[in-house]
Amino acid sequence: MSTTSVTDPPRTDDRAKPRRPHRRVSPQARARRRREAVAGWLFLLPDALGLLVFVGLPMVLAFVVALYKVDGFGGYTFAGLDNYRTMLHDTQFWSSLKVTGIYVVATVPLTFAVGLGLALLVRDRFPGVGWVRSAFFLPNVISLVVVGLIWQFLLVDKRGAAARLLEPLGLGNLSFLGSPKLALGTYVVISVWFLMGYVMLVFLAGLQDIPRELEDAALVDGAGRWQRFTNVTWPLLRPTSFFVLVWTTVGSVTGLQAFDLVFVLTKGGPANATSTVVFYIYEQAFTFSNLGYASAMTTLVVLLLVLATGVMFATTRGGRFDEE
Amino acid sequence: MAGRPVPDLSATPRGSLSRRSFLRSSAGVGALALMGGGASTMLAGCGGDSSGSSAKEITFWNFYGPAPDKNPQSQWFVSLVDQWNKNNDVKVKLRYLPVAEYLAGTALQTAFQSGEGPDVFLISPGDFLRYYNGGVLADLTPKLSDGAKKDYVEGVLDTRMVDDKIYGLPMEIEPLALYHDVKAFEAAGLSEADLPTSWDQLLDVADKLTTNKRFGVLFETIPGYYQNFTWYPFMWMGGGEMITDGKATFDSPASVAALQFWQDSVKSGVAPRKPQGDGAGNASANLASGYCAMQQTGIWSVSDLQLNNKKFEYGVSPLPTPSGGQYTTDLGGWAFVANAKGKNPDAAVDFVTWALASTDSEGVDRSRRWNTVVKTNIPPRTSVRDAADAKGAFSSPSLKAFIDKVAPGGRPEPRVPPEVYKAVSDALQAAQLDGADAAKAAADANATIDGFLKTYDGAPIL
Repeated sequence: MSTTSVTDPPRTDDRAKPRRPHRRVSPQARARRRREAVAGWLFLLPDALGLLVFVGLPMVLAFVVALYKVDGFGGYTFAGLDNYRTMLHDTQFWSSLKVTGIYVVATVPLTFAVGLGLALLVRDRFPGVGWVRSAFFLPNVISLVVVGLIWQFLLVDKRGAAARLLEPLGLGNLSFLGSPKLALGTYVVISVWFLMGYVMLVFLAGLQDIPRELEDAALVDGAGRWQRFTNVTWPLLRPTSFFVLVWTTVGSVTGLQAFDLVFVLTKGGPANATSTVVFYIYEQAFTFSNLGYASAMTTLVVLLLVLATGVMFATTRGGRFDEE
Repeated sequence: MAGRPVPDLSATPRGSLSRRSFLRSSAGVGALALMGGGASTMLAGCGGDSSGSSAKEITFWNFYGPAPDKNPQSQWFVSLVDQWNKNNDVKVKLRYLPVAEYLAGTALQTAFQSGEGPDVFLISPGDFLRYYNGGVLADLTPKLSDGAKKDYVEGVLDTRMVDDKIYGLPMEIEPLALYHDVKAFEAAGLSEADLPTSWDQLLDVADKLTTNKRFGVLFETIPGYYQNFTWYPFMWMGGGEMITDGKATFDSPASVAALQFWQDSVKSGVAPRKPQGDGAGNASANLASGYCAMQQTGIWSVSDLQLNNKKFEYGVSPLPTPSGGQYTTDLGGWAFVANAKGKNPDAAVDFVTWALASTDSEGVDRSRRWNTVVKTNIPPRTSVRDAADAKGAFSSPSLKAFIDKVAPGGRPEPRVPPEVYKAVSDALQAAQLDGADAAKAAADANATIDGFLKTYDGAPIL
């Protein structure tokens, strides 16, 4: 039995051009393409400007402010690299980095797997598929603050729905948000629940981009479900998978779920068990008024993320197919 | 094989984005955006001092009013400002911030950092030093008559003073006590005679009150200034202090015993690891909902329960003491302060002193209404307390207990810099919720406080 292995994906973009015979393009067509290209870039311009003003400039500013001692009341004193030196001896900073690391390592693969699984589940049309997709996506449209409050209600010690469900198993006294051993894991579950709908949607778009006839060909060749997935679907999802990987990783470090949920549910407790690095930076900036130090920590976190993203780009070739 | 033809995308215009290259680009740009998001949040405001001296409108940031539900406390703030605005050229404009945003949000800090801080605002003693050391608190003393100063109950201004100058006027005194659910006591076969007076008794009674749906007692478990505030009395009762004569003394046996006591309450299962609602200062969400049978909370819970749980039967008693210890409690309370770098500091000082220190009948009645009508506090001024007494304000059993048993012997909430607060908070969290050795937690915090004090050069820590 032979199966169709798709290590050589169909040519679907203009990189295939050199292998094709040269085709004469009329001046009108060239002008039209130019206009369309200009239009495309113009559509991107507002976002690019927004990124520059609201993200790019504050990032540069953060690098500068990190060199100052900022008192929170408008006073700046040049401190050179003092803030970075403080960081070296700040055990809670390193502990918060560890908390974030564990959170990322747990959340990213789980969100990836659950999102992909759901996308495969609702990929094909069946009666009510729209409702099912909406139900999975629903958590993502709720404000994270509301998400936090809902889960807080469900996880109340002794009386919450979770405690009641677990009571027959003798686990009714577990405190999901009050025990340092459970709190971070609880965040991971809530985060995955919140993010899975969006990731499902992204994977769904990726799946629908895969030509159906390739799977059909594999089916004719006698490939089972798993073989079709590993040899056809998975390789062709590489660009989508790359996007999801980078998005969930960066989001798990600096995204709203790494801060809002912590802020609403535990304020970094119990015993700093959920004090993510972003929460700790916030605490330094707004509880201690150490804005310079907070900026220095932010700078390091951004550099670590650039590094991590670079590694992901390098190891996956930015989601390109092997032949690209 | 029949099927859809592979779409020919070879005619994609040069320079346009394919779906795949768009995904790749999006990943890169998205990463940048998310990373930058963290940075930009940290630096929402970086500006200079925009202070002036004669603005015709000043702002008053607070967490009471004008609230969307127009509750009585909100209305008190609104009418306070209306009254002022009727008779003064410089108008006061209220800005309401939800309490969570006010206490732990970014609004106040970013405003001050950018030189746009409010002209008048509220602070608790716990946060006094951050603002005083930041140089934004205006001296109120020149606008206070001797009579007004003497009217304040002895000691109540201490944590708002530096070098005999007054930088904040308290609007209230809020002692902490132990509330209990009368029906829960009855259901457990207990009566008022069983109310605990010692720590051991508290754990024993709490154990009797604990069921599979209810905890015996509730102490705060959420880290923050409030949790520290509620724990200090337990340290003080055994003779402990955070700092003595400028040196860290947090590792005293009294601190260790207090940490151990809170740990025991959680470890034995009589106290929860997490309160309901917004925390253990909320009696409606915890005691009245049946989540716990006893709860440590403040005098404000009397008015909260009156407003939200009129039929709920409860009692109030002083906090239990350790063996050989001496009773005390923490006397909290918020204060009005004026921004020395605001748009019109003189007018801000005038407003604050008029609002809370006027000794005329209108001023006394205004404070009486705040302390005993729209809210329940112990008034910080003698004249206001007398006026409230004359109206029978403290005749209810719960408020009578506060006046007669809870408040006497209490200590004002200490003022500490954020670094000291954090060290104590870490020790408390580690001991209470992570099962850490109480002596080690106290020693670690002591070392942190000691290191901090060597470089601290701000106003005295009290």
